[in-house]
Amino acid sequence: MIRELTSFFVTAFSLIYIYQVYRLASNPGTYSQYLDTVRSPAMISFSIVALGFTLFHSVTWFYLIGKIQPIKIGRKKTSPLLALGINTVFLVIISFAVLQLFIVGK
Amino acid sequence: MSTVARFHALLWGVFSLGGFIAAFFLPILIYINNIAYPLGLWPVTSKDPTRLLVINQTVSTLFVFAAVGGSLFHGIFRLSATLAELGLKKQEAKITALGYAIIAVGLLALGYYLWLLSPNIIPGLAPPWSK
Repeated sequence: MIRELTSFFVTAFSLIYIYQVYRLASNPGTYSQYLDTVRSPAMISFSIVALGFTLFHSVTWFYLIGKIQPIKIGRKKTSPLLALGINTVFLVIISFAVLQLFIVGK
Repeated sequence: MSTVARFHALLWGVFSLGGFIAAFFLPILIYINNIAYPLGLWPVTSKDPTRLLVINQTVSTLFVFAAVGGSLFHGIFRLSATLAELGLKKQEAKITALGYAIIAVGLLALGYYLWLLSPNIIPGLAPPWSK
């Protein structure tokens, strides 16, 4: 059930972010007011919970993929735990790449 | 395979792709935009991350579109199924229709506003108001 609940936070954050992009594009002058909302304790608390649920989605999704579609290497099949491990490494690499390419030093 | 069955399979395929996108791309977007920036955590940025990502930036704008659009599709698709399982089976058709409507409006709005902010994401086709 917790796994299903992750979809609520994934959806909510996506919609909130679309609203943020809308605010930035439609009225850059009042966008700073919206950023005050982003900095509010309520929004930060929601975001921390949303991040927790999203990471839970990541972990369960990686495990599930390893279970549904194991890769055959020789006679052996990869285990869901191996898929979880490999994909978690990819998650870390992708996250660092996004930060380095688009954020750090800009 | 009938057209409806093919379309249904396609939707499940996009749902699965959205699951990967949400798993790989969404955590870092939530962290950098809604936690690190307001709390001043690493990596501290001078501008808000959304400005850095989507104003006149081609690759990072496409990243935002994929991350948010894919997550929206996956999230709503899964949420609709969950609501149906939670006792709203009779309302399943309405919930599904509403879900697809939100996905369509959300994706169109996201694409449109990102195009406004980064007109170069569609080479050779600038928004009409920029002329």
